[in-house]
Amino acid sequence: MADEPKGSRGSLQGIAMAVVIWAIVVLSSLYYVRYGVPELASDRGYLDSLYYVILGITGAAYILYQLALGYVIYRYRGDRPGAESSYWHESHKLELTWTIGTAAILIPIVFTGLIYWERVRGPAPEDAVTVMAVGAQFQWDFHYPGADGEFGRFDPTLYAIDNQIGLDETDPAAADDWVLTNQLVIPVNRPARILMRSKDVQHAIFLPNFRVKQDLVPGMTTEVWFTPVKTGSYEVACAELCGLGHYRMRAFLEVMEEADYRQWLSDNAPAAVADAGEPAADAPPASAE
Amino acid sequence: MEHEKQGFVSKYIFSFDHKMIGKQYFTLAMSMGFIGGILAVLIRLQLGFPSQPWPFLENLFPVGMASGIMTPEFYVSLFTMHGTIMVFFLLSLLPVSGFGNFLIPLQIGARDMAFPFLNMLSFWTVVPGAIIIIISFFVEGGAAASGWTAYPPLSAIRSAIPGSDLGQTLWLVGMIFFVASFTMGGLNFVVTILNLRTKGLRMMRMPLTTWAQFVVGILGLLSFPALAAGALLLTFDRSLGTSFFLPAGIFIGDTLMPHEGGTPLLWQHLFWFLGHPEVYIIMLPAMGFTSDILATFCRRPIFGYRSMVYAIMAIGTLSFLVWGHHMFVSGMSPFLGSLFVVTTLAIAIPSAVKAFNWLFTIARARIQFTSASLFGLGVVSLFVTGGLTGIFLGTNAVDIQLHDTYFVVGHFHFIMAGAGLFGAFGAVYYWYPKMFGRMLSERLGKIHFWITFVAYYAVFFPMHYLGVSGMMRRIYDPNVYEFLQPLQPVNLFITIAAFVLFAGQLIFIYNYFVSMRRGAPATANPWNAAGLEWSTPAYPGHGNWEGEIPPAHRWPYDYSEPGKKRDFTPQWEA
Repeated sequence: MADEPKGSRGSLQGIAMAVVIWAIVVLSSLYYVRYGVPELASDRGYLDSLYYVILGITGAAYILYQLALGYVIYRYRGDRPGAESSYWHESHKLELTWTIGTAAILIPIVFTGLIYWERVRGPAPEDAVTVMAVGAQFQWDFHYPGADGEFGRFDPTLYAIDNQIGLDETDPAAADDWVLTNQLVIPVNRPARILMRSKDVQHAIFLPNFRVKQDLVPGMTTEVWFTPVKTGSYEVACAELCGLGHYRMRAFLEVMEEADYRQWLSDNAPAAVADAGEPAADAPPASAE
Repeated sequence: MEHEKQGFVSKYIFSFDHKMIGKQYFTLAMSMGFIGGILAVLIRLQLGFPSQPWPFLENLFPVGMASGIMTPEFYVSLFTMHGTIMVFFLLSLLPVSGFGNFLIPLQIGARDMAFPFLNMLSFWTVVPGAIIIIISFFVEGGAAASGWTAYPPLSAIRSAIPGSDLGQTLWLVGMIFFVASFTMGGLNFVVTILNLRTKGLRMMRMPLTTWAQFVVGILGLLSFPALAAGALLLTFDRSLGTSFFLPAGIFIGDTLMPHEGGTPLLWQHLFWFLGHPEVYIIMLPAMGFTSDILATFCRRPIFGYRSMVYAIMAIGTLSFLVWGHHMFVSGMSPFLGSLFVVTTLAIAIPSAVKAFNWLFTIARARIQFTSASLFGLGVVSLFVTGGLTGIFLGTNAVDIQLHDTYFVVGHFHFIMAGAGLFGAFGAVYYWYPKMFGRMLSERLGKIHFWITFVAYYAVFFPMHYLGVSGMMRRIYDPNVYEFLQPLQPVNLFITIAAFVLFAGQLIFIYNYFVSMRRGAPATANPWNAAGLEWSTPAYPGHGNWEGEIPPAHRWPYDYSEPGKKRDFTPQWEA
C-alpha cells in the first residue's frame, strides 16, 4: 500500500513487543516464586492449598496466554514476507470452546471456595477460647471474659483513660474480666474465637500468619475463629484505614502451650483463675458416652 | 441542518459542538490526571524512602511536609485524592465523557449529540466539581483523608482525622457535581445512540466502541445515583446531625458522639453499588477502543463481533450483581458473600471471550505497528494479567488473606487503571487526526509506549508479591511491621519504576500539545480505516459532514475482504 502509515510496518517493533512480553512473563513468574505467603501458624492450611491451586491455574493461563500473544505478534507482523491477513472472523466451535472451557475451570474453584468459606465462617466449636477485641484509634484492647466465660456489660459513657473498653464494673459478669492492650495470648491447638467491636471508626484485624482478617464495625459485633497450631509471637495488624495512625496500630499475638497458658493466666490474672478452680473449666465435657 | 457561525466564546468555551466538548473534557481530564500522577509520585516517594527528609519539598507543602518529612495525615490525603482523581476525573472523564462525546456522533453518523445544550451543561457542571476537589488541598486540615471509598465513620466524623473536616465536605460536594454531570452525559449517550444512527446503521453494525459507550451510558445512569444518594446522606450525617451511617456509642477524641441507629455497612453497599459498575464504566470503553484499533491495524475484521457485543452486555449486567465482593470480610452476612462469589467469577467468562477474540484477531493478521496498535496490544496483555488475579480476589475463601493488601492494588491497577489508561492512550493516538486535523509524532508515541509498557509492569506486577507477603494497603510506613521489613527493596524498586513511568507521560503531554500546532497535517483517513468516522473531512467542522450524512452499508470491520482491490471497504461504501 502506497499510503500506509510511515514506518508502521517496521519489523523491529513487532519483534521487540514479542521479546518484551516474553521477558515480562519469565521475569514476573520467576520472581513470584520468591515471595510466598507468611509462615502458616493456624489450621487454615486448606486456604493456602486453594490459593496455590488458583495460582497454578491462573499462572499457567497467564504464561500460556502471554506467550501466545507474544508469538502471534511476532508471527503476524506486517512486514514478514508474503504477509497477508485473513478475513476469517467467526467460529462458533472455537467461541463455544473457550466459553465453556473457562466455565469448566471456574466451577470447581467456585465450589471449593464456597465449601472452605463455609468451614471458615461456620460457628466456632464449643471449647473455643473466647476473647473480645476492641479496636480504637490506634490500639487494640483484648477483653477476656475470665472464669465465668461471660463478658461484662460495656457502656460507651464509661470510656476513660483507665477503662479503655468502657466496662461496667457494676455488672457481676465483669468482676473477673480483664484486659490486655496490644497483646493477645491464646493457647495452641485449641480453637480461638475472637469477637470484635470498634470504639470509633472501622478497623480490621489481620493475623497474616493465621489467614485471618475481619473488619471491626462500630455498632456491630463481628467474629472469627481459628485454631493456632504453632506456638510463638506473631504480629497483629490493622488492615482497614482507620486514621492517621492506621499504620502503627499494631499488636502481638502470643500462642502458648496449654500448660504455659495456664501458668501465664495465674501469673497475670489471678482473679480470673481464682474462682474457677480448674482454668479449663470452660472446656466442654470430654465426651457424652 | 444549519449551524450558526461561532464566535470565540461559543466555539471554545460554551460550545454546543460535541467534538469541542469532547476536547474540553480531554483537557480537563488530562490536567486532573497530571495532578493525580504527581500524587502517585509522592505516595511512592514515602513508600520507597519511608520518612526521609526532602527539604526542597517543604516549600511546596509547608504543612504536609513540614521540615521535609511527610506527615501521616498528608500521606492519607495523598492516596485518597489520588484514587478519587484518577478513578473519577481521569479514567471516567477521558474515555467516557471525552471520547464518548467526541466519537459517538462521528461513529453513528449524526451531526451532534441528541441534546447539545445538556452536553455543554454536563461539562460545565463537572468543572466546578474538579475545582472544588483541587481547592480541598488548601483548606484547614487538608484534603479528604478517608480513602477514595470514604468509609464512615472516618469520613463522617470531623474529629476522626484532619482531612475529615472541610476537606471531606468539599470532596462530597465535588462528587455530587461529578455525578450530576455524569448522569446528564449518560442520558445523552443512550438517547443519541438509540435515535440518531444514520440510515443503514443497525445496532449490530455499530463499532464496538459505540456499543461500549452505549452500555456505559446505561451503567452510569443506573449506578451513579446510588453514590449521589450516599454522598447526600453522608453530608447530612456530617452537617445536620442525622445518623444514616452512624450507630450509637461512637467515641472519638474523648467525646461520645450523639448519633444512633445507623450502620456504616449501609454506606459500603451504596458506595459499591456504584463502585463496581464504575470499574466497568472505565473498562468497557477501553475494550471498545482496543477492538477498533486492533481491527484497523491488524487489517482484519474483529474476531467474534457478535460474541464481543454479547460479552459487553453480559459484563454490564453482571456488574450490578457483584458489589458485595468488596465486602467479604466487612461484617456482611457470609451467606450473601457466597452469592457474590458466583456472580463475580461469572464475569470471568465474558472476559475470557474478549481475551480470546482479541488473540484470534491478532492471529492471521498483518499487524502494522503504530503507537495506537502498540497500546492496543498493551491493553490485551494488561487485561489478561489483571483479569486472572481477579480470580483470587473473587474467591472469598482466598480473599480473606489478600483483602486490603497490595495484591488488590496490583490487581486493579492492571485491570481497571492499566487497561483503561492504555485503551485511552491507544484511542488518542488513533483518533487524534480527527480531533485536531494533525498527526501525533509516531516516534515520540513509540518511545512513550515502550517506557509506559515496561514501567507499568515494573511498578504494578511486584505489588502482587507485596500483597502475597501480607503488606496492607494504605499504610504510611510498612517498616513498622517486622514481617514487612524484608520487602523494602521491592518497595524501592517499585518507587524507581514509578518515577520512570511518570516521566514517560511527560513525553505524551509534550507530543499532545506540540502536535496540535506542529504535527504533520492529517488526511481524512490516515489509517485506511473502515469506520464511518473516517468519512468526515480531515478536520471536521461543526455538523461533522459538509454534505449529506453517508449511510452505513456494512459493519465497520471489512478489512482484507477476499476479492476486493483494496484491503479495506469503508462502512459508507456500498
